[in-house]
Amino acid sequence: MNWRVLLAATWLFSIGGCGNNDKANTPPSAARPLIGVSLLTLENPFFRVIGDTIKQEAAVHGFDVIVVSADKDAAKQSNQMQDFLVKKARAMVISPCESKAMVPAIQEANKAGVPVFTVDIPCREEGVKIVCQVATDNLGGGREAGRGMIEALGPAGGSVVILHFKQAESCRLRVQGFREVIEAHNAKSSSKVTIVAELEGGAARDLSYKATEDALQAHAGVRGIFAINDPSALGACAALEKAGKDKSVKVIGFDGQPEGIEAIAQGKIYADPVQFPDQMGREIVKAIVAHSRGEVVPSEILIPTSLKRQVDVMKDKVADITKETNALIEQSTGKKK
Amino acid sequence: MLVVLLLVAAALSLATIQPQETTGREAGLALGQLAVSQFGPDQILLAILADSDDDRALHQGLLEALGPSGVKQLVVAQGDPSAARHLLQEPQAVSPRAIICSTTTSEWLVVRDRGTVNDKLGTVNVLVPVRGMWPRFLTRVNILNIANQISVISIIAIGMTLVVVTGGIDLSVGSLVALSGVLAADFIRAYGGGVEASASTMVIGCLLGIAAATLAGCFSGLVIVGFGVPPFLSTLATMLIVRGAALQWTGGESIAALPDRFVWLGRGTEFGIPVAVWLAVLLFVAFHLVLTRTVLGRHWLAIGGNPIVARLAGIRVGAAVVLTYAISGLLAGLGGVVLTSQLKNASPTYGDGYELTVIAAVVVGGASLNGGRARMAGTLTGALLIATIQNGMNLLDISPFVQKIVLGMVILISVLLDRWRQHVVLCATG
Repeated sequence: MNWRVLLAATWLFSIGGCGNNDKANTPPSAARPLIGVSLLTLENPFFRVIGDTIKQEAAVHGFDVIVVSADKDAAKQSNQMQDFLVKKARAMVISPCESKAMVPAIQEANKAGVPVFTVDIPCREEGVKIVCQVATDNLGGGREAGRGMIEALGPAGGSVVILHFKQAESCRLRVQGFREVIEAHNAKSSSKVTIVAELEGGAARDLSYKATEDALQAHAGVRGIFAINDPSALGACAALEKAGKDKSVKVIGFDGQPEGIEAIAQGKIYADPVQFPDQMGREIVKAIVAHSRGEVVPSEILIPTSLKRQVDVMKDKVADITKETNALIEQSTGKKK
Repeated sequence: MLVVLLLVAAALSLATIQPQETTGREAGLALGQLAVSQFGPDQILLAILADSDDDRALHQGLLEALGPSGVKQLVVAQGDPSAARHLLQEPQAVSPRAIICSTTTSEWLVVRDRGTVNDKLGTVNVLVPVRGMWPRFLTRVNILNIANQISVISIIAIGMTLVVVTGGIDLSVGSLVALSGVLAADFIRAYGGGVEASASTMVIGCLLGIAAATLAGCFSGLVIVGFGVPPFLSTLATMLIVRGAALQWTGGESIAALPDRFVWLGRGTEFGIPVAVWLAVLLFVAFHLVLTRTVLGRHWLAIGGNPIVARLAGIRVGAAVVLTYAISGLLAGLGGVVLTSQLKNASPTYGDGYELTVIAAVVVGGASLNGGRARMAGTLTGALLIATIQNGMNLLDISPFVQKIVLGMVILISVLLDRWRQHVVLCATG
């Protein structure tokens, strides 16, 4: 049996070796302080962008960064934070899976003198010290979505359905902002927009698809749908297409993930308040650096969203293409010189 | 499997050799002596320390080493980087001979870029504890860390081993973790007043949660024995029913109103070792003895080997099998209470997917899913191996996606090794 065991061991060894080689690419890490980052899930591109931006930005300031995925499991995230302490991380960034369950782990970090930051999902529990919480301005984003909806429905107004995800505080804020704007609009305008139903869409494509089908059965005259994120909005679009109502019902999403942007470009989604995960990553690193320098750090940073309609998305695309072409032209002319 | 575990540990030790920091009183003594020997006893020194237990101990050591005359000339900033900044900007900080830092504070930008904070300090030396080379994997803190992280999984794996020995399987353990945690926390909240609950209320709440999980385990066992339903289906049904019940009971919300003392079970230490680890070790020893030294243990092994022969030999197969599921439920319930204590919070979503990790630990430990063969020591090794590999990969900063691939391959390789060993034994005997 021995040689097989050895084989297995050498294989594991080679994995260990790979890990080391990766590190050899960066300058020697002896005096580079470490930042531990545990994000809700890395399966969602939104969080991957946050993680990648933190890595890039922090490297500029001489930090090493580890990014791990908590896979939405509070126990796993708590273990990862303990691992960060063992690895002597000098700062921790988390997007808490469940803020209440993270209290003991955050307290442990506080006790060890390691500053904790949150990104995207805030933790507002008592008894924990968090240096800075960076998140999207969801209330403001919801208001933008409301304005987008009023614009999409035009002077005729009409009835609207909300696809909600009530568990998440961020989504509750989005809907709150949306309702505020609609109510303010109804108070002074004759083209009333009525919210006829608020259904659970699970923030997911499949559940939102079913919820939209049900909504179309119950309220035949629906003219608009506000979905609290892109997967939910895309589920609604699919149900509308099936029912042949994709032209008559306007959808407002949230997020601005690549798929969502594509759907806006194709006219399936009317508009999205777009979030900026890269900006969140940059703000977090700024806050970590400022804290480490002993400067004053705001306890909360809200990143505003920006409403993108088909026209805006097209403009962005054109701008991107121009930028790329310019870069290419510069490259080729540079070579000629 | 023990050989593999040791080899993995050795490999990880080699791969994680890094400069290791000296901390606490020892570091303080060394820094103080260094300062005195270099600059004499009466020089102005600044000390920049973090607000942590380690650095408080370092401060003590430093005061001891400097002696009474040196202490007078020592200016200390203890807290976060902004406290350090205040000190460095003060006029009295104008001309120190050196700045003393712990390894933590030496990496603060306010110290590293001290010249920009106060240009007179740019050239002043920073004294930092000496770093030795030592594998980060092989530190006391990390080993205890691994043991503590795997304690819940190992406790559940004990019950699973018994079920697997009789040729069964229990998919419901993950849900039982949630059920027991939620019931215990809800009882403490409802009858103990939540945060102010007394010790006895906490014990009763935990026992209640564990009892409910035991009953659910009994139920699975009775369905299997009474109606001849395959264990896979019976426990799959229990898994869904129990998860649904836990979600329904709490309305999908988590319960956090628990007293501070409640974390003793999951986060406390006794004699320098986490309580949860003591619990897991004691249970392993106890059930190892039950499995190898008692009639009941022999009966379980016999049933797994061949249930018909076992029955003909006069063993009460039904009762023995139901008992394994009851124990599995009980230990899953205990695991749930420990997890709830670790997180000081109970949620109906806890334990999702635990059944697979637990089964993996049992199988990696050399148990046969056909029954009749398993050892508690093997299961313990299996659980440790999985935890070690996960921890090691985290320490080495291997991508979470690659981690899943590696874990899958570890399970595959250990099963193949086991197959091959059995084959050799069969050839040798046959």
